[in-house]
Amino acid sequence: MGSVTFNHVYKYYKGEPEPSVNDFHLEVADGEFLVMVGPSGCGKSTTLRMLAGLEEVSQGDIYIDDKYMNYVSPKNRDIAMVFQNYALYPNLSVYENMALGLQLHKVAKSDIDLRVNRAAKMLEISHFLTKKPSQLSGGQKQRVALGRALVREPQVFLMDEPLSNLDAKLRTQTRMEISKLHNQLKTTMVYVTHDQTEAMTMGTRIVVMKDGKIQQVAAPQTLYDYPNNLFVAGFIGTPQMNFMNGSIVSIDDEYYFDSKRVRLKIPPFYYPHIRSAKANLRQIVMGIRPEYILCEDWALESYSDWKVSAVVDMREPMGSNTFLYTSFGKDTLIVRTEAHTAVQAGDAITIVLRMDKAHFFDQESGVSLTAKGEYA
Amino acid sequence: MLNAVRKLRKQISFPRIVLIVFLTAVGVFMLIPIIFLFNHAFKPLNELFAYPPTILVKQPTWRNFEQLLLSSTAGLVPFTRYLFNSAVISAIATGAVILVSTMAGYVLSKHRFHFKTMIMGLILISLMFAPETVAIPRYLVISGLGLKDTYFAHILPFLASPLAVFLMRQFIDQIPASLTEAAKLDGASDMYIFTKIIIPLTAPAVATVSIITFQAVYLDVETSTFFMTKETMKTLAYYATALVVNVPGVAATSLAAAIGLIMFLPNLIMFLLFQRKMIQTMLHSGVK
Ligand SMILES: Nc1ncnc2c1ncn2[C@@H]1O[C@H](COP(=O)(O)OP(=O)(O)OP(=O)(O)O)[C@@H](O)[C@H]1O
Ligand SMILES: [Mg+2]
Repeated sequence: MGSVTFNHVYKYYKGEPEPSVNDFHLEVADGEFLVMVGPSGCGKSTTLRMLAGLEEVSQGDIYIDDKYMNYVSPKNRDIAMVFQNYALYPNLSVYENMALGLQLHKVAKSDIDLRVNRAAKMLEISHFLTKKPSQLSGGQKQRVALGRALVREPQVFLMDEPLSNLDAKLRTQTRMEISKLHNQLKTTMVYVTHDQTEAMTMGTRIVVMKDGKIQQVAAPQTLYDYPNNLFVAGFIGTPQMNFMNGSIVSIDDEYYFDSKRVRLKIPPFYYPHIRSAKANLRQIVMGIRPEYILCEDWALESYSDWKVSAVVDMREPMGSNTFLYTSFGKDTLIVRTEAHTAVQAGDAITIVLRMDKAHFFDQESGVSLTAKGEYA
Repeated sequence: MLNAVRKLRKQISFPRIVLIVFLTAVGVFMLIPIIFLFNHAFKPLNELFAYPPTILVKQPTWRNFEQLLLSSTAGLVPFTRYLFNSAVISAIATGAVILVSTMAGYVLSKHRFHFKTMIMGLILISLMFAPETVAIPRYLVISGLGLKDTYFAHILPFLASPLAVFLMRQFIDQIPASLTEAAKLDGASDMYIFTKIIIPLTAPAVATVSIITFQAVYLDVETSTFFMTKETMKTLAYYATALVVNVPGVAATSLAAAIGLIMFLPNLIMFLLFQRKMIQTMLHSGVK
């Protein structure tokens, strides 16, 4: 039904030397919730707009439900889109806003009434169907915009940062509502955001983009656990993954990560990856997420091979846990520890770098030596 | 409560009082000519020639208007003919300018096509020419097209209004593109988007353009002077200026008093009508 295929799609804007979307190649299965994330200007919206038919495809093909879409007008693509600024028709009532698309598609009046009321009930907007958009709050407007897309019962929903104009609490709430809707409807969704929390919580699969290029496509947990390259590793996760420059050296058939200050043993299950890697082992970036740098006593005992000492610069209590910003030589390592830790700023502490959870990247290309995640 | 008091105190601060008094004085001063105009039109002959002249009328009479209605140029073309010409021309020209400028503004703002920037540049350049500088080419074009002594000569030159197109485009630019895009995805045609979504949102700009255009057309004398050789094709504005020449004696003063008000009234009505609409639509348009 609502499958989407991008076949090596490019977008060249007039006057831009580089393509804004560069070789976007991806299949979205029917019923999938695909999230596109990436920094500002990486081409997320452009990709979505090409899928919607609002922007011409410069090169490549787009299929929806296996039908060739490049030259099909937006209204015949059987899609509905939710915009960041809601884009409600100011002079029409909420009801008329939701009904317009159906009227223009010549749906019977009784059917329109049925669908609008059903969607309104679902989104809890029934009580202000007669109001004008200017009389609604931001959250209500966004629900109306969702409702307008919903009543169309399209094959694919497209959403371009629909939550970014809402405050934090409303955003979380609406995020859950959209997830719930997707679970109920099982309609394909393509969702653009630059908020990685939204990406991680909503998506069945995430596309990470940068400079118009796909960096990695994977399920949220895979993306977090096995980032393909330095960019993805740094982009996903807050606080950021810790990075340290160094090299991988082999001594007596064993591999060690070696920076100027420490030499840490790499666990053997990484050896096949390291041996087969086409990277310069003398220029490596090691990455470890804050939750895998430990300072508790039990950890110091269990992982005694991987101890180093560091100085705490700053303590950041988050409520559920505390982040320690420690300096380790030139590098700053962020340590995630329990909320009520006794460690204070200025303390010299011993920390454990869990090398069994470390990532190794080629410094030059940024490509991971060890990722097992799927590659785009 | 406390807030309200504080707000009130802020509102009645000394500089504010001075400002209000000053602005009221300016307003009254600017009202004087209008009051004079209204009174003057109803003055009997002796009051018209009174010295020193008075602003307010003492014995109002309709005589001036009766005379005007019955007057005619050289006993041939009645006053009502000029009135009719002016009404027809102003109405058609204003309507046509609104239609053309909104359509052009919409396309220039929301569509992508080749040479768009160049076309917009040309429109901006033509904004810079004073009407006098193009009087001769305009004459050549109009007489070349054989439009002299037709209503077309009255209407067509006003139709190409760079100011109106420019205003419209600027205004439509403020309507977010996502609105027209949402409509496109909903299945709306260009015509539908234009009439049902763009036009209702541009009411303030339409009001502005109507006022500007109506005034320009209604008060225009040049067209009648240059392009109309037939007296029957000339407008009220022309009649008003030619009055003193064409009508002999004291009667001219009486007619002038009445026609002054008639020339002014439609402008006033337009203004009052659209000014309210303008504020209303701006408040409720939801564009911002
Ligand atoms: N109409 C346009 N004309 C020319 N260049 C454009 C146009 N629209 C977008 N671009 C360029 O294409 C690139 C991608 O833009 P796009 O809007 O897709 O980014 P994005 O990933 O959606 O960013 P954001 O998170 O800020 O919305 C940008 O470099 C931008 O400058
Ligand atoms: Mg965007």
